[in-house]
This record gives sequence, C-alpha cells and structure tokens, in this order.
Amino acid sequence: MSALETLAEVSATRLNSFVSKWKSQGKKVVGYVCTYLPEEILYAADILPYRITGKGAADTSLADSYLTRVNCTFSRCCLELAFSGQYDFLDGATFVNGCDHIRRAFDNWRSHQKALPFMYILPVPHLLSPEALVWYKEEVVKFKEAIEGHFGTTVDPQKLKEAVSTYNESRKLLRRLYDLQAGTEPPLKGSEVITVLSAGTAMPKGEFNTLLRKLLEEAGTRKRVPDKKTRLLVAGSVLDDAEFIENVEGLGALVVTDALCFGTRSFWDLTDETGDAFDALVNRYFNHVPCPRMAGEYPRRMAFLKEQAARAHVDGAILEHIKFCDLHGTDNALLKRDLEKAGIATLELERQYGPLADAGRLRTRIQAFLERIRR
Amino acid sequence: MSTPKADAIERIVEAFEMASALPEDMDLESPEMKALIEMMPESRRNTFLAMAKDPDVRKMSAVFNRCLGIYWRKLLSAKDEGKKVVFVPFNFAPEIFHALDMIPVCVEVLTTMALTLEEGIEPYLDLSVERGLPDTMCSAQRAVIGLFETGLLEKPDLLVNGALGSCDPNSKAFEYMAEKFNIPVLYLDIPFYHDKRALDYYAKGYKNIVKAIQEMTGAKLDVDRLREVVENTNRASELFFEINELKRNVPNPVPNYYNMHHTGMKLTMVGTPDAVEYYQTALDVSKDRFKRGKSVLPEERIRLLFLYTGYYFDNSIYSWFQEEMGVSYVMDVLTAFDFNPLIDTSSVDSMLYGLAEEMLNLPMTRQLKGGWDMPDNWLSDMLYYARTYKADCGVFTGHTACKQAWGVYRLVADELKRQLGIPSLRLEGDGWDSRITPMSVIKDQFEEFFATLL
Ligand code: SF4
Ligand code: SF4
Repeated sequence: MSALETLAEVSATRLNSFVSKWKSQGKKVVGYVCTYLPEEILYAADILPYRITGKGAADTSLADSYLTRVNCTFSRCCLELAFSGQYDFLDGATFVNGCDHIRRAFDNWRSHQKALPFMYILPVPHLLSPEALVWYKEEVVKFKEAIEGHFGTTVDPQKLKEAVSTYNESRKLLRRLYDLQAGTEPPLKGSEVITVLSAGTAMPKGEFNTLLRKLLEEAGTRKRVPDKKTRLLVAGSVLDDAEFIENVEGLGALVVTDALCFGTRSFWDLTDETGDAFDALVNRYFNHVPCPRMAGEYPRRMAFLKEQAARAHVDGAILEHIKFCDLHGTDNALLKRDLEKAGIATLELERQYGPLADAGRLRTRIQAFLERIRR
Repeated sequence: MSTPKADAIERIVEAFEMASALPEDMDLESPEMKALIEMMPESRRNTFLAMAKDPDVRKMSAVFNRCLGIYWRKLLSAKDEGKKVVFVPFNFAPEIFHALDMIPVCVEVLTTMALTLEEGIEPYLDLSVERGLPDTMCSAQRAVIGLFETGLLEKPDLLVNGALGSCDPNSKAFEYMAEKFNIPVLYLDIPFYHDKRALDYYAKGYKNIVKAIQEMTGAKLDVDRLREVVENTNRASELFFEINELKRNVPNPVPNYYNMHHTGMKLTMVGTPDAVEYYQTALDVSKDRFKRGKSVLPEERIRLLFLYTGYYFDNSIYSWFQEEMGVSYVMDVLTAFDFNPLIDTSSVDSMLYGLAEEMLNLPMTRQLKGGWDMPDNWLSDMLYYARTYKADCGVFTGHTACKQAWGVYRLVADELKRQLGIPSLRLEGDGWDSRITPMSVIKDQFEEFFATLL
C-alpha cells in the first residue's frame, strides 16, 4: 500500500487501525476541536489527541433539537456523531471556545447522556494582548493539571520536549509537501492533500511522520498533475472533507494551497525548541496564524493569505464559509475586497457542511469563476 | 435603493423632539392628532400609540424622549464643538465617555432609534448585505453598517467593542466597520468565567482601554468629573433597584413599556443627571400606580419573562400585553440589571474597577459568555429572575442572529420547566427586522401560548 493509500484509509475511517492499535495497548484517546489546543500536552501524557469533526454524518436529526438551524452544519454534524455514539471510543473531549457554535456544541454534549467521562473546555482569549497571554498560559496549566488528575498521569518535561519536536517535525514535513505543491506540476491533487491533513489529526504524530516521509519519497516518482490547470487557494470555514475540493478540481482547477484551520493555519508556525518547552508551546499556540475569532488581527490574516497566494503562484482564490459562520463569512467579505485590490481574482461562496452540502448549486458558480480567470 | 434625503441622525432627533413636544393632555381623537397619526408608517404608528395612549406611560416617555432628543442633538454639533464620538455595543457602559466629555452611541440603540425613519431600516439592512456582509449577521448592527454605506450616517471617531467572547456577530460587525470604513477600534475581551480572577482580568483590559482612549483622543480623565458621573450612576442604580422591588408585587404596578425605556436609558445616558431624572420619574409613576392598585388590564393573568431579547420594531406588543391580554412583562435579560454593583467612588482606580464590574454584569456579557449553566450565567440568571419576579412563563423571541443563545435555549428552557415548573415559548424572528416574522404572526403565537396557561 502506498503512503497516500494508507493515509486515505485513515482519513476515511473514524475508528481507524492506528487508533485501534493505540487503544489495544490500554492507552487513552481524547478528542479536540481547535487549533488553539496545545495537543503536545496530551501526546506527552501518552494520550492520543484526535481531532473531532463532523465528517461522515448522514444527517443531523439528533443534534438539531439542541443546536438549531441557525447553528452551522459543522457544529451540528460533530454533535450528531457524538449523540449517535460514534465518538464513544474517545475517553474524553477537550473543546476550545473557538466560536459561539462550537462552544454550544460542547455545552450540549457535556449535558447529554452521551457525555464522555472527561469533558473539558479550555477558554482562549479573543485578543493577543500581554494580559491575554498570561490568562491563556494559566488556562493551559489548568488543562494540563486536569488531564493529569483525570487520567492519573503526569506530563513529564522531557516527554513534552520530545512531543514538541515530533510535532515540529510533522509541520516541517507538511511544509515540504506544500513546497512541492507550490511548484509547477504539483505531485498531489488538492483533495489528496486534504486527505493527508485530515489523517494527520486522527493518528499518532510519530507514525504520521513516517508516512509523510514515505509520501514525500513517493511524490518524486509520482505522475505529476499537469500544469495547465487553474491554480487556486482555498480559505475559510473548517474544511476536512475532500469532497468540496474534489468538486472544484473536477472543473479543471487545482487547489495548490490554502489558509484553512486543517491546513496551513494549523502547521505553518513552529514551536521554539530552545527554551522551556511548556512556555514555548503556550507562545506558539497563542500567536500562531490567527483565526478570525481573534479580534483586531485581520491585517495579519490578510497578509498570510497574500503570502500563501504568492508562494503558490495561484490564479485565484476561493473564500468559502459555512452558512451561519459569521467569523469566516465576515472575514471573507473583507478578504475578497482586499485580494481583488491586490490583483487576485476571488470567489466568495456560502456552503453547507456534511449531508446538506449542495455541490450542484456551487458548481455553476465555480465554473463561471474558473472561466473568468482561466489562463 | 432610492437615496433618502437627509442625514439619519438629524431626522431621528427631529422625531424625538416632536414626540417630547406633545402636550401632556394631548387628545388622540382630535382631528390634528388623527391626521398626524395617519401619516405615520404602521410600526411607527403602533409604537407611538403604545406610548401615547396611557398617561402613565406618557409621563415617563416625555422625560425619556426629551432627554434623548437633547442627547442626540449633541451628536449633530459634536464636530463643531470638538467632541469625539464613539460607537459601542450594548454591553459597553457609557459612563467613561461621559466622564471624558465624549459622546457614546450604542449601536443597537441607534438601530432602534432609526426605526423612526420614514423609510424604516430595511433598506439599510439589505444594503449592508448587498455590499458583502453575511445576512446571518445581527440586524442590530447591520442597519448601522448599511447607513454608513449610504453616507447618511457620519463615521464616529472611534469604535470600542466589548463583545468578544459573548457574541461573535457583534464582535465581527465592529471589526468589519473598522476595516471597511477605516475607523480606529479598540477591543475588550470578556473572560469565560465570572469570578474574582475573571473580574481582575476584565478590569485590567478595561483600564487599558480607558488609557488607550485618552492617548488616541487627547482627552484627559479628571477624578472629580468621573466621581460626578459615577455618583449619578449609583443614584440611577438605587432608583431602578427600587422600581424592581415594585415589580415583585403581584400584580406588578410597573408599566410594561418601562422595560424598553429602562434599557435605552441605561445604555446611553446612565451617568448623567438626565438619566437620574428619568428613573426618578419612572419610580414616581410606578409608586403612584402601586398606590392606586393599577396594573395590566383587565387584570394580571400572566407574568411573563423574556429569556433574552425583546421586540423593537413594533412596541405595540407591550401595550397589547398590558391592555388587552392581562400579561405583565416582568423582566427580560436586557432589562436585567439586578447585579449592577454600587460603585466605590474613593479613587479613580476603585471607580474604574467598579465600572468594569458593572460591565461584566451587563446583559449579554453576563449571560452569554462561558457555559450556559456556569455560576452567574444564563441559566442561573433565568432561575433567579423567574423566582424573584414570580414569572409564570418564559419566552425566547428567537432573534436569528443570536446563535449562542439558540444553541442552548433548549437546555435553559428544559431546566426552567424541571426546576420551577415554568413553561417556555420559542419563537423565531428578528428584533429589528419586521419582515422575518410580522407582528401579527407573533401576536397569534403568543395568544395561542397564553391560552395554554390559563
Ligand atoms: S465553521 Fe465557523 S461557525 Fe462552524 S464551528 Fe467553525 S468557526 Fe464555528
Ligand atoms: S447577542 Fe444577539 S442581539 Fe445581541 S448582538 Fe449578538 S446576535 Fe445581536
């Protein structure tokens, strides 16, 4: 099996073979939802961090009577999977107050009979101020203590250092992959890259790194995607389902980079490995490429997008947001204005996540956009 | 949209001045009055009549409209007088700006006031969306953004947002205004919890903002002026605590219409002598009604608690409750200031800390940050208000944009039922946009619900 095939299998299976193996060794698995959670703390405690998503939810009927139609379909799909027992294999879940929808998904899950034995929310400030950094650090300390207390383990400083290094390795490998994608004739389709990224959040990072290295080797011998396709950047609301990208690419485009929280925004910044590992982690997670939840950081998000667009030589950008996702919807309106000003053709799309996704409706708009910008 | 003629604020001020100039003994049946009423658009007419019909309500409204008219007129001359104007959301207390001789404008109150414009706010809601803003954002800020787009509303000198952590649409609306219209902005982060550590963090953020405002505008905080403002706030708090005491009576003598005014005053003018005058008038009217045994008509049959926002686009609903349904509207989250502290005025530091504490207890900040069942959060407040004000039922008006409230409404309503036996009604609509659910439909739904309670 090629590395890509293995990763695709991991991405497609909720309780995948790596998680099963981990559990069979008597070790714990804890779900998380957001890029502001320092996963390394779990990993150092020999707990597998597993990113909770809504992928594969067939409908949202259970979730809908709690989270309502004005809540985004991603948060509803996550809750649906939780309520229908599909996350029963987790030993706990740790959320972050990322947005109004996801913190309410947490509230509902925590209050439901399907609540896991360990339900925790790590409150992250919405400003990047010195006081907020102190608050965040205190919260990360509390989180570490809660993990230690509940699971009867300790986060050993040496193991934390090792976890930081393993995670950094992962980020560096992903950047190499993105460098290849940025070149002419990228080795992978954008939909395959999403698959790789999503697999990386559902298996131990050490083993993921081994597969990534193999993937990079294989990429050298792989038949390249021809350069005549329209090169795109995708940014916006959470996107871990290859289907949306597949649809875009089916129309003659190639997604070569992104500014997504499953993509570059989660791995672009490294953790400093020279000083105290805990402090370095806190700094890294607090200051990493900001999510639209961080107030006053729009200029940084804009700059990051432009940097990604230039690096990957894109012909245009798709800014998507899930309906009712005000964080990304509002940012996208501003980003569209500023990207177009910078000469980057941009399409803004409102979409749904999961079973409500309506590929047909979006197709026409994407097609028209591609025709407009085709080289 | 066809472009209306004049500056929005100018026209709003005119409407308020007109309303406050109405004589106390006004005869609604006189031909002149009838002609005037006929000319008004429907929702404005309903709101006007709700205020004008009842002499008790009119007394409070006259003071309210006069004070607010004067206040908004100041906005028109702000530039000439060198005064800075700052836009804030409804969970940012205005006192600090009064103390700095700046003019605070609460965006949500401005949208409510803009309902008096003859063209309504709908064209502005739509325009904001045509120009890029998602239609899922809150109409209470969208109207102001639409007004900016037309140029009918002058840009303020500064935006200060304090909704981070309690409402994403609100925080993002301010960021959008700042970026799109190039207005300087400051943000105040709301902590997740409600304890001493959280208050210290929040107060530090608040003090940073006060410092930054002074640096950005050149304004200087004077301790005596601040004390004067805070003493007015304390006086206003004592008065509305007294009014709330009266509300606990069965039947409740405080007119339903009071709730809207109470909030409007608190969010704009608290800290000024005018606000004290208004609350004093409201207290006098309520006391007098208590003495006369006056309450809702025909008799108090139901005591209603709004679990979050009310309706603003047509206030006739409150007089309909009062005069036809026998429903006493005892409290809503936006009128809920029972946890307002009396502020220690001994030093600048104690006053700023007190103002921060006041803000941490303002609507939305207090109830919608953090988790729904944490101490001093939504559920605990609803249980407290339902018990204290002896509510028989609750209603969630279902303002579409409040995703954080929608997301746990069911949990709160289930607990109210389980712990206090109080049923709740969940509606869907919009507080400001009359097109989402028209008032006639809203009234039908209420009527059906009330029938199940009697
Ligand atoms: S897609 Fe948007 S609304 Fe949904 S969970 Fe993510 S940030 Fe929140
Ligand atoms: S809490 Fe609701 S009413 Fe208030 S600003 Fe947010 S969305 Fe609007």
